[in-house]
Amino acid sequence: MAGLNLNTIAENATRLGARLQETISEHTRDLTIARGTGASYFDTPEDKVQNIRKQLDSNSDREKLDAMKRLIALISKGRNVSEFFAQVVKNVASHNLEIRKLVYIYLLRYAEHEPDLALLSINTFQKDLSDPNPLIRAMALRVLSGIKVPMIGSIVVLAIKKCVSDISPYVRKAAAMAVHQAYKLDSGLQPELIEIISNLLRDRSPLSIGSVATAFEAVCPTRLDILHKHYRRLCRTLIDVDEWGQADLMSLLLRYVRTMLSRPLVSEQGEEEVDPDVKLLLTSCQPLFQSYNPAVVLAVVKVFYYAGPPSEHTKVIPPMLRLLHTSTEVERTVLPSLLIVSQSLLHLLVPAYTYFLIRSDDIPQVKKDKMRLLSMVLDHDNYQTLLREFTHYAEDSDDELVKESIEAIGYCARLVPESAQQCLGILTSFIQSKHSIVVANAVIVLKLLVQSSLQQEGLSSNYSSTSIISRLAYSFDKISHPQARACILWLVGQYAASDVSQNGAQVGPEGVVPWAPDLLRKVALTFMQEEPIVRLQAVTLGAKLLVLSPSDRTLILLNRYVLSLARYDLNFDVRDRARMIGSLLSGVVSNLLEDDEEREDQGGVILRREQVKLVLLDGKLGPSPDTRIMANDNKSLGSLGAITGKDMIFDSVVPDWLEHGVESSLRDSEDDIPLVPTGVQSLQSPTPRSIASSSRPSPVVLTPTAPSPAGSFARPDKNAWTDLDKFYADANEESGEEESEDEEVDDDDEETEEEAERTESNEKPEESSEEEEESEEEFEEDHANRITRQDDSVHDT
Amino acid sequence: MAIDGLIILDTAGRPIIQSGFRSSSSAYPLLHIEALNNALSKASRPSDVDPVLYVSSLELDTPSACCHVKHGDLRLLCPVSGDVNPLYVFAFLQTFIDILREYFGQISAETLKDNFDVVYQLLEETLDASGHPSTTYPNALRDIVLPPSLLQKVLSVAGVTGLANQSSNQHPFASPIPWRKTGVRYNANEVFFDLLEELRAVVNKNGIAAMSQVWGTVHANSRLSGTPDLLLSFAGSQTLTDCSFHPCVRLQRWTRDKQLSFVPPDGQFTLMSYRYQPAGTHAIAIPFTVKASVVIDESKGTFDVIVTSRLTTRTIEKMTVDWFLGETASGASCAASNSSSWTFDSRARTLRWEMKNITPSSSFNLRGHFATTNKVPRPARGFRIKFEVLQHTFSSLKVDQLKLTGEMYKPYKGVRGRSMGDVEWRW
Repeated sequence: MAGLNLNTIAENATRLGARLQETISEHTRDLTIARGTGASYFDTPEDKVQNIRKQLDSNSDREKLDAMKRLIALISKGRNVSEFFAQVVKNVASHNLEIRKLVYIYLLRYAEHEPDLALLSINTFQKDLSDPNPLIRAMALRVLSGIKVPMIGSIVVLAIKKCVSDISPYVRKAAAMAVHQAYKLDSGLQPELIEIISNLLRDRSPLSIGSVATAFEAVCPTRLDILHKHYRRLCRTLIDVDEWGQADLMSLLLRYVRTMLSRPLVSEQGEEEVDPDVKLLLTSCQPLFQSYNPAVVLAVVKVFYYAGPPSEHTKVIPPMLRLLHTSTEVERTVLPSLLIVSQSLLHLLVPAYTYFLIRSDDIPQVKKDKMRLLSMVLDHDNYQTLLREFTHYAEDSDDELVKESIEAIGYCARLVPESAQQCLGILTSFIQSKHSIVVANAVIVLKLLVQSSLQQEGLSSNYSSTSIISRLAYSFDKISHPQARACILWLVGQYAASDVSQNGAQVGPEGVVPWAPDLLRKVALTFMQEEPIVRLQAVTLGAKLLVLSPSDRTLILLNRYVLSLARYDLNFDVRDRARMIGSLLSGVVSNLLEDDEEREDQGGVILRREQVKLVLLDGKLGPSPDTRIMANDNKSLGSLGAITGKDMIFDSVVPDWLEHGVESSLRDSEDDIPLVPTGVQSLQSPTPRSIASSSRPSPVVLTPTAPSPAGSFARPDKNAWTDLDKFYADANEESGEEESEDEEVDDDDEETEEEAERTESNEKPEESSEEEEESEEEFEEDHANRITRQDDSVHDT
Repeated sequence: MAIDGLIILDTAGRPIIQSGFRSSSSAYPLLHIEALNNALSKASRPSDVDPVLYVSSLELDTPSACCHVKHGDLRLLCPVSGDVNPLYVFAFLQTFIDILREYFGQISAETLKDNFDVVYQLLEETLDASGHPSTTYPNALRDIVLPPSLLQKVLSVAGVTGLANQSSNQHPFASPIPWRKTGVRYNANEVFFDLLEELRAVVNKNGIAAMSQVWGTVHANSRLSGTPDLLLSFAGSQTLTDCSFHPCVRLQRWTRDKQLSFVPPDGQFTLMSYRYQPAGTHAIAIPFTVKASVVIDESKGTFDVIVTSRLTTRTIEKMTVDWFLGETASGASCAASNSSSWTFDSRARTLRWEMKNITPSSSFNLRGHFATTNKVPRPARGFRIKFEVLQHTFSSLKVDQLKLTGEMYKPYKGVRGRSMGDVEWRW
């Protein structure tokens, strides 16, 4: 008996062992497959795609999960998989969280295409809003608000209202995000959404504030009056908000401050008078200069630069410089902001010039911006170092940088007269360079320098200037860049008049410097190969030389040759020039073009030599003042337009200050007691608020928004209209009644609102103050945008 | 108006991951991908592409821009339109990359394809539908999106995924501290600090630095139970300027007495970064010298470069010298001294010279020539030199003490220093 038992046990044990081994090997096989599953999902073959439908309908969670992963992979490959919508929707109530998340992702993408089927799933989402797991509540709301079916607008609003009073801050945050989505879904929901936002603003937890700020900016950017009561508390909680929320909230508070408070005044004694509420914002922002998130740092910079008094502006420079080393991309985006700031804070950038030294592997845009900064910080003290740098950059492999660095050397010569000689030396040495781009730019800059130094007769650099011209003329053969060649020809022609009085012994023709006619000879030889711009200058050079020395036979012959070539040139500009010069010169040298018979018969005035000289050589404009540094801009800090250098339509414009701020008592609120400034805001006991709080007639909305007492009846009137209406509507719907009724209420709302607007715009009070009108207009525009796009010009005026 | 979406491209420029783009036409992401690929193929050096590309076309009604970063083999790009600061976008991209790294370790096209369901969930949580980043603290995210682990794979094979998930994230955001999760338990409580300093310098031909700065970061790895409150103080903290901190650091405390008081997140994070400002006029010494002679001839150039270590006790490691030989460079051939190697990248037209170990006061030499297709070669006028020195910091910053309050245990503490360098040496 015992032996038998033992036998069975042994048998069972071996069987069990075999069974175990089997399962383990099976599982490990699965495991090895699992390692590469993702990639295999990504490259799902066609026949498997057909299988997905079956898998989704199966009972096994694993099959379903597998199918969902395949679907997401197909989406990722850019394939339209909306055909599976019906099967996917069925799984929306799956108990498996993993599957559900993937279903959510799928629904968000395709709900728009299949509104009818999407509506089927709405019940599930509504049920999920009461799920014990906050994650599911939040996700349900997110999907609900993400389904782009306009019909469900009011359901979404109800759902948001439910979530606004949720116990979990994470869900409240989701509610704030959903507000934005709901507004996009149906802009007619605005009044209700505004009320939700003002409820959310009361939230004590800093977690959701950032999302509330973005919702505010999207739904009702002009209703800054809602913020009055919350302004001080928002400032104080700023430090506890998460980083992205900080950035969003700061830009909102900045706008509030600029629209509602008075400009910081600087008295003649240099004392600054700052509104205490502005001060509050600045002090609460200041620690965030030390955030490790560059976006936050730039947001603080904006607050200080646009809201701070001049003495506070200086604080923005060190944090911006600190960001430069973070990464190439950050460097690229911070430099344009530095350029904007530099216009008023240049003196602070001068000692920091080493931050802008260019490395040969910087990207072209960075090189360009650094170059501009370097030329701006150039002064009497640092020009030696910077000249060395510029000289180095002239050999860079980036053509644009070469051009700008050579121009910067020229700029230095003009800005710092002591350095002029040194700069000229550097530039003339560039003419020997092997790189044509260096030579060309050096010539152009030299031309400007010579011109301006010759014009300022006070500077006795006359001799050196002519020697530079002669050196340029001698290296004419080596220079191939057409613009540079044209430059030399012009320079030589312009300043060819020789100083006869000084040297008695003339080598060449009388009245011109000896090397000038030779240059004409050279260019006449290669005339046909030159670019039009060079040919034009060659014709002019000939004429100038002839006027200076009319009796020289060689010059006459050279001129005749050049003019006859130019007369039959392919380029009409050159032909025109030749014709004009020919007629001009007819008074200086008779029968210059002897074969020209018709000329004799032509009437008209023939100018004398002195007159021709005046026409050709005098009245030249000096070099135009340096414009390349003053290019930027009235772009605002950190805007996309400032960085791309293009106009972007929606670039933010920081609103201008009010003359007199709104009354500070508006911002008084019962919770004005300063919060305990702990690094950790207590979320431990999030006060559960019932939905009833939303039904309370919000005092904020009803507060008259007029900034000044004068002529302020237009807006409160209107607000009272819509909001009272709203208020009564609220009282009806409070207990969460049926959808249809809700929708009706919505429609009514919109109508009344529009009506109100129409009547109001008709009888706009004329005596209303300026700022009143301004905000009025903005407000209107906002509405108009919602209905139709409004003509921008109205607002611009 | 904010970040319109996020796209991840593989090496060939094909999208692997693409977020919803629910509010724009389907052509919109394609246009941006195309704009980026175009710019990349046009640029002579891939690194020359502007990180903010202006994208405008007839199909879009508004002008937009494409902000992109490169990470390993991948490119992450965010199309943006309207009123948004690109810095915001780049900060988000960096955060997202950090999160991916936290989840998957090394990021490559393969790891993303293996885990794309996790990536999509992460994307959904970090970037909300209106284009604003939402939850980005890794500690908080781990409650919502489970990182892939072997255990999870075993469970999924066994078909019990649902159970495993439900149990672990029953209470997301239950933590009173947004960056730290609750209920952390370790058998051995340890905390490590890594001081990582980077020297950035531009050195002129004569060996004199035109610019030299040392930027340091303190990375921490905290494996502490419960809710520990740490107080960290440095010896020599007066030499630190331009500091920035992780949100967990109490800024007022630092301003007052230069001590770091914080409740750390669990796991790895960057605690602070700073710039080392040597006392007085004492300059930061470059730990090596370079002597280079370059002769440029017609269609070619010859060069002879010598690198000598100036350190007397430590070894410089992993030194690379990169030299861009100009857009027309066609090839190079060199002789490198022992235990160093060179390569020429014909796409980037860059010569790279690698030295694994430079022992104290030793010298290395590279000589050779390169050829160009045009007559006048235009190589870059500087070498980009990168290196590392282990167990060394430029600032010799020391952790003075670490106090732990709020918990009863005594943690094990570890501090390590490491230096890196990124120097442009002009010739």
